[in-house]
Amino acid sequence: MGAEEVYNRIPMLRAERGVSRKELAAALGVHYQTIGYLERGEYSPSLYLALRIAEYFEVPLEVVFALKPFPRLGSEVKR
Amino acid sequence: MSEREGARQVRWAELKKMSWSEYRQMNLSRADIMQLDMLPGWYATRKRRRWLAGAGMFSLALQWINAAVSWAAEPDDGGNWIILTLLAVMMVIYLPAVTLMNIATRGLVELTERHLDERQVGERLRATTIAHRITTGLLAACFVTAVVAGVGGEGDYVVPERAVIMLIVALAMTHLVLPLIVSTWRLPDPLPDDEE
Repeated sequence: MGAEEVYNRIPMLRAERGVSRKELAAALGVHYQTIGYLERGEYSPSLYLALRIAEYFEVPLEVVFALKPFPRLGSEVKR
Repeated sequence: MSEREGARQVRWAELKKMSWSEYRQMNLSRADIMQLDMLPGWYATRKRRRWLAGAGMFSLALQWINAAVSWAAEPDDGGNWIILTLLAVMMVIYLPAVTLMNIATRGLVELTERHLDERQVGERLRATTIAHRITTGLLAACFVTAVVAGVGGEGDYVVPERAVIMLIVALAMTHLVLPLIVSTWRLPDPLPDDEE
C-alpha cells in the first residue's frame, strides 16, 4: 500500500487464543487469504474491519494495529 | 461483512474437502464453483499464474491478428481458412485459460460485490483501472490505424465487413477479459494454511 504501512499483532493474538486464519476469517466475514495479507502487512484494513478485529479479540485497537513497529517483548523491561 | 458472509466462508472451506462425486450431487452456485481448487497445480505459484495470464494475453493477441488478417487477406486466397484456423486455436487457449484464471483469482472479476470482501473489491478496482488504461491505448491505436489507412488510399476506402466483425470481437474480448488477466498477473502467493 505504498508509503502507508500499518503494523499489526494479529498472528500473535491468534496464537494466544488458538484461532486459525480460517476461523478468524469466518468470524469477520472476509476471505481467509485477506487475513494472510493483513498479517503480512500487504493490505491495510478499513477502519470498520480494524475495529471488528479489535472487537473480536476483545482488545483496544492500538493493541492490534500501529503505525510504527511494535517493540519486541521484554525490550521495555527496566533494569 | 455479516454473519451470512461468515457462513459462506465456512461453507467454502468445507467444499474444498469434498470429492467430485459429492460436488455433482450438490447444487453449486457460480460463487461456490470459483472457490473450488480445480487443477490447483496450474495456478499454485505466482510464476504459473503469470504463465496463465500470458496464455490469456496470447489468445487475445491471436484475435487481434485475426482482425488484421480479415482486413488484409482476400477470401479467394484462402483467407477464410486462415481466419477460421486462428479462431479455433484462439478458443482452445482462451477458454481453459479464462476458466483457470477465474478459479485462481476466486472470481475476483466475475462475482458480484456481495461475494467479495473489501480487499477483493479494492483489488478488482485496481485491476479494472489498469485494464481500462490498456484498452484506451488499444482504441487510440485502432483510431490511428484507421486514419492512416484512410489517408493513404484513393477515394473512399471500404473496410471488409468480416474485418469489422473481427475487430469488434477483438475489442469486446479485450474489454471483458483484460481485468481478469491483470488481476491474475498481480496476485501474490497466499500464506500456507495454518495446521489445524
